[in-house]
Amino acid sequence: MKYLIANSTTEVLEFLKEAGGTASILAGGTDLVLDIESGKKKADVLIDVTRIPELKKIEEVDGFLEIGAAATLTEIHSHPLVRKYFPSLVKACKKVGSRLIQNVATLAGNVITAQPAADAGMALSVLDPRFVLVDEEGTRECYVDDMYAGFGVSTLDSGRTLMTKIRIPLPKENEAASFQRLELRKSLSLPMLNVAAMAAIKEGKFEWVRLRMAPVGKGPVRAVEAEEWLVGKEVSEETFERAGELALENANPRSNPLRGSKEYREATLPVMVKRALLEIATQLNVMEG
Amino acid sequence: MKERLVTTVNGRRIERYVDPSMRLVDFLRDELLLTGTKIGCKQGECGACTIIMNGTAVLSCIMPVMKAMDAEILTIEGLEKDGKLHPIQDEFIKGGAIQCGFCTPGFIMGAKALLDENPSPTSEEVREELSGHICRCTGYKKIEDAVLKAAERLREEKDD
Repeated sequence: MKYLIANSTTEVLEFLKEAGGTASILAGGTDLVLDIESGKKKADVLIDVTRIPELKKIEEVDGFLEIGAAATLTEIHSHPLVRKYFPSLVKACKKVGSRLIQNVATLAGNVITAQPAADAGMALSVLDPRFVLVDEEGTRECYVDDMYAGFGVSTLDSGRTLMTKIRIPLPKENEAASFQRLELRKSLSLPMLNVAAMAAIKEGKFEWVRLRMAPVGKGPVRAVEAEEWLVGKEVSEETFERAGELALENANPRSNPLRGSKEYREATLPVMVKRALLEIATQLNVMEG
Repeated sequence: MKERLVTTVNGRRIERYVDPSMRLVDFLRDELLLTGTKIGCKQGECGACTIIMNGTAVLSCIMPVMKAMDAEILTIEGLEKDGKLHPIQDEFIKGGAIQCGFCTPGFIMGAKALLDENPSPTSEEVREELSGHICRCTGYKKIEDAVLKAAERLREEKDD
């Protein structure tokens, strides 16, 4: 195996081209290192991108928060701008593994490993993120639904494409987000269920809602039925209840020794949806928490 | 093919040719014979292999050795000064925060990184920051107390 430390995006593209598809980009490596050892993934060349200054930046640019793809989860959840605009993302980043993992793992990696149980990628998914990808052909932007190919499979080929940053539109005054997690204990536990939501509320009614659930399918699964039904509905307990029931129509939680039975997870999912919507309403001072 | 690695471990500059598929923990233990850093799960889940790299606590068991390039590494062996234990080590011993001792180097390095960044943590913060370390003997309470005591001592030493 060869290990290359890249100093710029251009250098990454050169290394990738030279390796002709046999390389893999490496950021924190908390999953990749183990996947290579177990034979799940193969790479003859590792390209370390964590020393590229441009990829470490977290900054506000023209109405977007831009998070460099090599920024660690700790750097993200402790950053004043992230704390100011996206508390739900802060909460989720703090749930990935332990602090020791967060100190090296990245949000970009959390998306690219495409694990349906990934907490940070899940909270991010409802914030309307744009993923900036660079390869031989140039630069392009992708949305959440372009990123997930299957369970643990990304559409991004780490042997050809580099994610440079994640751009998140800053929330407007009447918008807020929430991340809810059902877990066995507070630390070092995989989620039994995650629900993330973002919504805009105007005059006591939902203008729009983005609602996603995991792990109940491939990547962060959209609760489309609930999202559509919620538009124009009054912000109330009854509305949350109905949205929770509708969310089940798009979820297919399986029985899993780590996450609980199908029945239990189906019974709790609507409660998580309710909590997420209530938290949003509380943040926007529409309801009392 | 071996690659050239230049790094600093416990203040000593090291230059070696290493197999890049090696993990940092194996390099520390097998090449530098710094066996104070332990291997528990080798999956990044137990915290026994924790070291400090450029001021941050990291898991050396899932870290490719080449991540150490040009880095400043501190392991448990680098904590004592002139034969005197670091206050965190001392408080772990005094407070009975050690039983079998296997998780101890990891806990102490985690605690060191925490106290370097936050000299006055609350018990809640100690618990949260050290939640990636697993101990099967002590029940954690004594570890938490030892870290808080050490924090107090370090603050006093700084004031003197």
